[in-house]
Amino acid sequence: MDIFLQQTVNALALGGTYALLALGLAVVFSIMGLINFAHGELMTIAGYVLMYCGIAGVSFVVAVPLALMASVLAAVLMERIAFRPVRNGSGATMLVTSFAVAMILQVLFQNLISTRSQPVLLPAMLSDSVHIAGMVIGVNKLAAIIATVVMLVFLDWFMKHQKTGIAMRAAAEDFAVARLMGIRANTVIAGAFALSGLLAGVAAVLWVSQRASVDPLMGFMPVLKAFIAAILGGLGSLRGAVAGGFLLGFIEIYLSAFLPPEMQEFREPIGLGIVVLVLLFRPNGLIPSATLKAEKV
Amino acid sequence: MKKLLTLTAIGALLAAPSFADTLRIGAATAQTGGLAPYDAPVMEGIHIAIDEINAAGGIGGTTKIELIEKDVRSDAAQTSIAVQELVDTGISALILPCDADPALAAIGIVSSAEIPAISTCASSPTLPMIGGDYMFANFPGDNVQATVSAAWAQEQGHDTAYIIYSPDSQYTTMPLYFAEVFEKMGGTVLGQDTHSIGQQDFSAIATRIAALPEQPDVIMTSSYEPDFPSMLKALRSAGVTSQMIGSDGIDSPTTFSLGEAGEGVVFTTAGYAEDGSPLAAFNAKYKETTGSESETVFNAVGYDLIKVIEAAVLAADGSTDPKALRDAIANLENVQGATSAITYKGTDGMPVRQVSLIRVKDAGREFLGSPSPDAALIPAPRMQ
Repeated sequence: MDIFLQQTVNALALGGTYALLALGLAVVFSIMGLINFAHGELMTIAGYVLMYCGIAGVSFVVAVPLALMASVLAAVLMERIAFRPVRNGSGATMLVTSFAVAMILQVLFQNLISTRSQPVLLPAMLSDSVHIAGMVIGVNKLAAIIATVVMLVFLDWFMKHQKTGIAMRAAAEDFAVARLMGIRANTVIAGAFALSGLLAGVAAVLWVSQRASVDPLMGFMPVLKAFIAAILGGLGSLRGAVAGGFLLGFIEIYLSAFLPPEMQEFREPIGLGIVVLVLLFRPNGLIPSATLKAEKV
Repeated sequence: MKKLLTLTAIGALLAAPSFADTLRIGAATAQTGGLAPYDAPVMEGIHIAIDEINAAGGIGGTTKIELIEKDVRSDAAQTSIAVQELVDTGISALILPCDADPALAAIGIVSSAEIPAISTCASSPTLPMIGGDYMFANFPGDNVQATVSAAWAQEQGHDTAYIIYSPDSQYTTMPLYFAEVFEKMGGTVLGQDTHSIGQQDFSAIATRIAALPEQPDVIMTSSYEPDFPSMLKALRSAGVTSQMIGSDGIDSPTTFSLGEAGEGVVFTTAGYAEDGSPLAAFNAKYKETTGSESETVFNAVGYDLIKVIEAAVLAADGSTDPKALRDAIANLENVQGATSAITYKGTDGMPVRQVSLIRVKDAGREFLGSPSPDAALIPAPRMQ
């Protein structure tokens, strides 16, 4: 039982990180119908900011907000430079654009920073663990869970009570009507990218605090997980993204924890098999978006 | 007229000096993509060696080295395309990527063109086995590294071990060699876990190990960044205090910047820069040429590779004929490189090189020695 509880905490921490990642994809998708595969590179940018802050001796408490700001800024620039010109293009055009942005950034990181992964100096506290009710919980696990909760509460408040947030919800429901009501498309879309940048930044801090290094290609794996989680939860639905993220985290941790040793090698195919199974019963995801089809503006 | 031409040609050939003017080497390595972290530093070392040799007038004072480079983007198909292009330009030797899989993608072309090929830093002993006569490696084999670390663990009085490996690549299965040697020497392997390369979260594995009825004395893995730091931190924060043993993949600055969690980690690698050693000299030269400190032993490994080719040309009396070079490489003994003395004679293409044991201490390196492994203990290469 103890082990089960312990593994559940592990699953919550991992699922929370996946939820933040999937939310970042979903925020943009719900409005533009674009799956931004360059989302992972926003994380890489935040990671490099942490790395440079470490080298410059900037304290971690200052480095984290700087990293978040960098990924928000990068997300807004990405929209302005790469996605705005193709906003009216087909879904495929935008998808290919996002892959191109990701690849260009990766090659830039490899050529301008380093092909090798670079160490990120982290406060020693993050490697510690605390004992709660007979369980050993790593500080970074705890941080992941707290950060997820804070971000979800913030997002809920933002979407319900902030003008931009309300406008974003309206745009996600029906962009054409929302524009007729006087909502500026550019503001909403830039806002969505900024929000996804913030989510990417928080996820990056959690991600990097586990691996302690950044490399030019580190964005690929998280964006892949986020994509799976977003599909699982229901593309374009924010609540779905959170549900999908947590479910994916639970599937991965429980399989890794309780699958018999001789089956461990097949952990990933089994996990993805479960995802397919869920989608067979709920083809639009766990909590599908009310308006599945995103509109072009 | 025709006869005259032929005679002149023969005459010219006979009169020509035995040393050719240039040795053309093709490099099909990964400058971008997942293998770039290994191939790019090796290529830096290769350039340093070539510049040094050419500045001294070339191999044997006459044969300058010409390097033709192609980026294979860490892709097996691209490797075979690049190799075909390089072979068409008439190269005498070929440099292949650090991983066995893309290196093997080129083997058909290499074997039929009969050009010796050396992988920059692949360490799987199966590479020359599958690759045949023309395929050579340039790194201590996985099975040799595992033998060195298992013997060290036994020497320290560690009797029980746990291994964590990934079946995703040949290299990351090194712990299976470790387990084989460790048991052969009388130790007990308490269990094993697998992970996938790039796996972010090791908390499930760490929790399972922490809950074992008996804690293992050592945990061995050949995982590298970003997996290794995540794994290590997860184990330590779950309360597992076993001795961690790793391999050359973690010979990287990150390993030394993990703070408390990283202290005491022991790993095998291709060399250690003792004062006055060739590696220390190489590192000084690296700093002089590039302006920054060498971050990894893979720089020196690139230097070694060119030293091997230089020695082969000298051994073949200055010939740049690919077949002659292959035979020469296969018979090289004690070529002094930057990291170690290198011997190919008597092997199937997997060189005999020194393996160094390093312990992380005060965020720096503590040299534990370069023991020669007992040949009887080295496991046979294992096909996956």
